[in-house]
Amino acid sequence: MARTWDRLTIPGKALFVLIPLLAVLTAGLIITIALFGQQILDILIFNLPIVRFVLAATVLLLLAPPIAFVIIYMEMKIIALMNLRIGPDRVGPWGSLLSTVHGLKVLMKEDFTPTRADAVVFTWAPVVVFAAAALSALVLPFAPGLYGQDFNLGLLYFFAIGGMTVVGLLMGGWSSFNKYSLLGGLRSAAQIISYEIPLTLSVVGLVLLAGTLSLNTIVVQQGAVYDAAGNLVRGGWFLDWYAFRQPLGFLIFAIAATAEANRTPFDLTEADSEIVAGFATEYSGMRFGFFFFAEYINVFIISAITTVLFLGGWNAPFPAPHISWIINPGAFGIGLLFLVALVPLIGTLVLAAPFYLFRSNTRWWVALILGFLLFNVIAGGLITLWAYINFDWVAGLVWFMGKTFGLVFLFVWMRGTLPRVRIDQLMSFAWKWLLPASLLNLFVTALAIVVIDALRHPR
Amino acid sequence: MATETPPRPLPHGTHRSADDPHVLLEDDYDFYEPIPPYPPRTEREAEFYTLGDGEMFLNMGPQHPSTHGVLRVVLKLDGERVVDIDPVLGYLHRGVEKLVENADYHQTISQVDPLEYISSLFCEWAPVTAYEKLLDVEVPRRAEYIRVLSGELNRIASHALFMGWFALDLGGLTPILWSFIERDEIVEMLAALTGQRMLFNYFRIGGVNGDLNHEFMSRLGDWMSRAVSQIDSNIGLLNENEIFVRRASGLGIVDTETALRFCMTGSNLRATGVPFDLRRAHPYSIYPELDFDIPTRTEGDCLARYLLRMEEIKQSLRIIDQCLERMPDGPIMAKLPRLLRPRPGRAWSAVEGPRGVYGAYAISDGSDQPFRLKIHDPSFIHLQAVGALLPGNLLADTMVIMASLDPVMGGVDK
Amino acid sequence: MSLLSGLVPGLGIAKGMALTLRRFFAPKATVMYPEMPADVATKFRGRLQLLYDEYGALKCETCFQCAQACPIECIDMGGVDTRGRFHVHWGAPETYGERREESAMRRSGRTVPDQAYEHFASFDLTTLDEILDGYDHDPKRMLQMLEATQAAFGYLPVAAIKRISEKTGAWYATIYGTASYYGHLRFEPPSNTAQAGEVSARRASDETYLAALGASLGGRPGGDA
Repeated sequence: MARTWDRLTIPGKALFVLIPLLAVLTAGLIITIALFGQQILDILIFNLPIVRFVLAATVLLLLAPPIAFVIIYMEMKIIALMNLRIGPDRVGPWGSLLSTVHGLKVLMKEDFTPTRADAVVFTWAPVVVFAAAALSALVLPFAPGLYGQDFNLGLLYFFAIGGMTVVGLLMGGWSSFNKYSLLGGLRSAAQIISYEIPLTLSVVGLVLLAGTLSLNTIVVQQGAVYDAAGNLVRGGWFLDWYAFRQPLGFLIFAIAATAEANRTPFDLTEADSEIVAGFATEYSGMRFGFFFFAEYINVFIISAITTVLFLGGWNAPFPAPHISWIINPGAFGIGLLFLVALVPLIGTLVLAAPFYLFRSNTRWWVALILGFLLFNVIAGGLITLWAYINFDWVAGLVWFMGKTFGLVFLFVWMRGTLPRVRIDQLMSFAWKWLLPASLLNLFVTALAIVVIDALRHPR
Repeated sequence: MATETPPRPLPHGTHRSADDPHVLLEDDYDFYEPIPPYPPRTEREAEFYTLGDGEMFLNMGPQHPSTHGVLRVVLKLDGERVVDIDPVLGYLHRGVEKLVENADYHQTISQVDPLEYISSLFCEWAPVTAYEKLLDVEVPRRAEYIRVLSGELNRIASHALFMGWFALDLGGLTPILWSFIERDEIVEMLAALTGQRMLFNYFRIGGVNGDLNHEFMSRLGDWMSRAVSQIDSNIGLLNENEIFVRRASGLGIVDTETALRFCMTGSNLRATGVPFDLRRAHPYSIYPELDFDIPTRTEGDCLARYLLRMEEIKQSLRIIDQCLERMPDGPIMAKLPRLLRPRPGRAWSAVEGPRGVYGAYAISDGSDQPFRLKIHDPSFIHLQAVGALLPGNLLADTMVIMASLDPVMGGVDK
Repeated sequence: MSLLSGLVPGLGIAKGMALTLRRFFAPKATVMYPEMPADVATKFRGRLQLLYDEYGALKCETCFQCAQACPIECIDMGGVDTRGRFHVHWGAPETYGERREESAMRRSGRTVPDQAYEHFASFDLTTLDEILDGYDHDPKRMLQMLEATQAAFGYLPVAAIKRISEKTGAWYATIYGTASYYGHLRFEPPSNTAQAGEVSARRASDETYLAALGASLGGRPGGDA
């Protein structure tokens, strides 16, 4: 017995323990649900806000690494193409799995703590940074009805949690026992705190216009207005977005957000040619991975909040025709069986036929595989189209993600082009230009509101 | 019979516990110990390694990502501002000048090659011309043309790399790869001519190793047809960029007097307004026959040095054009015995490299090996100016100033 | 241009961004090396390296062709060739450490004992020097010199070739190559019996030859019928 146990590899041992454990737990869960299902459901429904919060936080924490992987891959590939390189092209199609493999590699690397480092703070710093990055996504409205929490102080919550990043960076920089880390941490503190002010002030004008801090409401305000029958009342064009009502605010917000996310040209905290890797110099393994993920999640979140505030969130740039295309599966009757069984088969054969007939050197099984793939692509496209037309949240998610990743592309593009500013230029830019400009923006907006209000309702 | 074994030396930074000698404790050393742990040896060291109020040391290099080789600089910082610096050299010392004394005259060429590994042809050029002076050899005209042609190509390769480095130290990721594309094409065509990409070992005493061949000429023609537009568009990424211009202009200003006092040469001197170029000032080879300008600038800052080098690329392209146009026919090697025994004597020779005046002082004692070969390297001269330029600037600018002087540590440490 | 960029803030940045976007779609410079062959120049020297065959033996046959071709004598060679003879080239930069003493002695005008040749028999060189004086140390008349040397010693000793190399300035490798090209020059002492045996072993004897010829002609040619 002991010898058999010793022969198992480490994953084997883990599976050997985990599988019976999981089996027991699953069985217990099934029995519990069967016995107390109704009561559990009642409790959950009673505490719906809490359940929703926990669910949303879990989903966001789970979604954060994949989003980071996508953005890391985008950064690697786009910068490579701009550098006239090919970039990642070995792992997965066009190298798209490389960032995932990097993530796995980071997991396996040694987790190293320097001798003189303050171990507790050193360990908790990446956690704080990652949590701050992931939790600020909680109030983001991804699509109609698809948001973690919609409360009236959403924007304030966002800025408060986003500002917590600096605590983590400072913790990491201080506890590493390295002067480069210390410089990086202090730089990040100076930079993020300075840019927090124009960042917040630039949206105050927008908040004056919107009259609310709830992000969900702000997005709804930028979209089309429908009456009860679903007919378009007014708006729906992209000119309703706040970017066109607050152009100066949008510009200030974009610049300050770049600095907030530590992206080029404001990536002073990890300026690799000056202070080796800034606060992350001494980090390795998964702790470095958390910093790395947090950076890219920050990019996503900054892009997302820009989209939400200024680019209309989930709204399409044109008024969408309100059609619906409802398929009722029950209406097919027994025909549904044939549909499910035969349509893939026939579709595959029909799509495979041209490959086989018109290209004489194609083997039949190659043609079948190609036909099957093509059928899947077409069917998937049709289903997506159907979902886009039928469900508001799918359409919203498509537009939201499209805009957000467009902004992410812009961030990456800037990183591929621009050199870095110096710390004193950074500071003087924030205090001498951005802050007065955002105050001016606020003043002009408030003045315009008062004047237009007075004109509209003369006393 | 048990013998008394001597106690094993303790690991560094530990001591035995007073209670239990088997327990090792970490030494309780001062956190802010000065970087070299030895007591200062000179007054300057004593002055440098005493910290003032709110100052700290930062040890930059030799493995720092942007110290251009293995230079170590100890910075004394006040916040982010550099108060004083202490450069530590010698991490790449290979004793080339001593190795040269134990090699034949021919063999020394391969020894001096890796000194300035960015522009190896100029490292060969200076000693080879010094030997030719010793031997009183007339180099064939075709060989001189080939030397100038390949040398100017190497100058472009070096300046292209400078552009990438400079941008990388300023935080731009892209220019380094674009300039490496240019450099790679040049280096590949030089490989077709000389047989090697980096350490060419091409110049010979009395000529060059191989004649122009078809492969080299086709690669060269291919590249020359698009070089100007390609380099222009590469430069266009940065030289109008506001961030770049604001960071580089007014930074690390060297005035003419300082430059002359430091014996600066090359682009760094010309950026201060002195039109001193050895190709015109003390013409050698076929440079008097060629038509080219000596670009100068008067600002003397990092941006001026950058833009001046970009100008020099264009002048080099002009020279290459003229060389190809006027390339004479004839032998590429002077008639020389295999075993060279120059008469006892000494000779100084200098060429204008991409970094400045590259000189060689050769002494012969009549044997087949040089008695002494002293290499005068411009990188070493320019690196001295760093001590005067850095204090007062920010940490972020140390790298930029150092990059704008364009030192190569292989040449500095020899 | 500079006036315009001074007036419009951010124009330079925009130009740079446009340039990177253009390069984003431009053809790439990467060489897919393992799949695509690298475009290496024909003259590329690469790295000097001795190759081994599939049995793990050195492929080098000590033919000295590489040492002859090397323009700056950086190739040294010591080894046993296919016929079991030991050869050594004259010197290499890699042996500077060993040659430092030698160099100092040569500079001070003393004769240098060459350790690489110590196990070859040394002999009185006056004869050889006379021969070389006769030909005026001219490397162009190498063949005559070598023939005269062989006539004097009966073969070409290693020490003699070394001496010729020193005196004429021609490389050892070149002289060896010249000597090995001509069949009548030999590197071992001619032992009469061994040489005769070798010759007879190579050639079919006259008797056999004549018998075969006679058989083909139907009788013994030139003899009685």
